[in-house]
Amino acid sequence: MIGQAPKPRLLARSFWLAWRDLVLELRGRSGLLAAVFFLATVLLILGLALGPAPRQLAQAAPGVLWVALALAGSLLANRAFGLEVEDGTLEQLLLLPGEREWIYFGKLLFQFSLQVSVGLVLLVLTAGLFYLPLAAWPGIILTLVLGSLGYASISTFYAGLLVRLRGREVLLPLLLFPLVVPVVLAAVRATAGLAQGDWSEVGAWWRLLGSFDVIYVTVCALLFPGILEGG
Amino acid sequence: MEALLEARQVSKRYGREWVLRRIELSLKPGGIVALVGPNGSGKTTLLYVLAGLLRPTRGSVLRRGQVGLLSSPPAFYRHFTGEENLLFQLRLSGLEQRRREIPELLARVGLPLGKRVFEYSSGMKKRLGLAQLLLFRPAILLLDEPEAALDAQGQELIEVLLHEQTQSGGGVVLATHDPRWWGRAEACLTLERRR
Repeated sequence: MIGQAPKPRLLARSFWLAWRDLVLELRGRSGLLAAVFFLATVLLILGLALGPAPRQLAQAAPGVLWVALALAGSLLANRAFGLEVEDGTLEQLLLLPGEREWIYFGKLLFQFSLQVSVGLVLLVLTAGLFYLPLAAWPGIILTLVLGSLGYASISTFYAGLLVRLRGREVLLPLLLFPLVVPVVLAAVRATAGLAQGDWSEVGAWWRLLGSFDVIYVTVCALLFPGILEGG
Repeated sequence: MEALLEARQVSKRYGREWVLRRIELSLKPGGIVALVGPNGSGKTTLLYVLAGLLRPTRGSVLRRGQVGLLSSPPAFYRHFTGEENLLFQLRLSGLEQRRREIPELLARVGLPLGKRVFEYSSGMKKRLGLAQLLLFRPAILLLDEPEAALDAQGQELIEVLLHEQTQSGGGVVLATHDPRWWGRAEACLTLERRR
C-alpha cells in the first residue's frame, strides 16, 4: 500500500531520537571526550589556584562546580543538532510525518542526558578536589538534574533556531547565557546550602528551579515547530 | 481525479533574487512530472518547496499524501550502517515491526550488511536512498537527479521504483538532466536559468 500514515507517538519517537543521537555521539566520541577533558583541566587549574586549604576549597566548591557545568552546557549546546549538520540529515527528520514537537523533546532528552552525564563526572571530580561532603550528594544530584533540565531546554531551542546559520557556535552562547543565568544562580545557591548543611533555603531554590524548568520546557516546545521551517 | 500534489503560482526568493516565478504544477495519481533545466535554474529549490522543507515566498503547495525525497547526494548518518539508518527511520515513524524487511531490501538494491555509511561510495548512498523509498512507499516521490552516481544496474532500480510507484497509484516528480526520463513523464516543466 502506498503512502501509509503511521500513527504519531510522541513519547516513543522522542525516546528513539534521543537514543539514536546518544549512540551516534558515543560512536563519534570526539565532542564529548574533548568537553570532559577540557572541564577536568579547568577544575584542576581552579583547585591549584585556590590553594591547599580544605575549608577554602569546600567554600568555593558550589561555585566551581556550576562554573564548570555552565561551561559544559555551552560546549555541548551545539551537539543537539550538530549531528544533523555534520551529516546533512536535518531534512530526513523534517520529512517524517506528524507535528514536530517530538523533535524538540527528543533533542532535549539527548541534550539533558549528555549534560547530566558530564555533570556527574564533574561532581565526582569536584568532590575529590574541593572536599564536597558525601552526605550532600543526593541533594546535589537533584539540583544537577533540575539545573540541567532548565539549561538543556533553552540550549536545545536555540540550537534548533540557529541550526542553519554559519556563526552558530559563536551566537549560541551569546543568546544562551542571559536566559540561563537565573537557572545557574538558583542552582549555585541550592548547592551551597547543601554543601554547608544549611537546608533552610534549599527547598525554595529547588522550587524556583522546578518553575523555570516547567516554563522553559513548555514555551520552547510550543515555539519549536515553527522555527525549524526553512525560510 | 484529485491531484496528489499541486503547486499554485509558487515563487521563491532568496534575498533579492527570484529563484522561482509563478510555478504551476499538478501531479496526478500514477503520474510522473519531469523538471528540466540547466544548473542553477531552481529544480532542487522547487523540489524542496514541494516537499515542505522550504516555504514559498508566494503561492501555495497542496500535498495529499506522505512525501519522500531522494536528494542529491542523499544524506545519512555516516557512523551508522545502512540497516541502522533504515531501522531508526522505521522507529521514528512508529513502524519498527517492519524491521525484518530491511536485510531483504538492502540485498535487493545491492548493498552489503554491516558496512557503515562513511565507507559507502556516492552510488551506494544513492542505492540506500532508493531502499529507504522502497521501504516507506510514500505517495509522492520527489527525486533529485536520481540517475547521478548510479551504474547501469542502479538505474534499472530507478526504473523499477518508478514503475511500482506509478502502478500503485503514487506520483513522481523528478529533476533530471537525462533525456531518457523526459519521455517517461506525462509532463515536463522547463525552468530557465535565473540572471
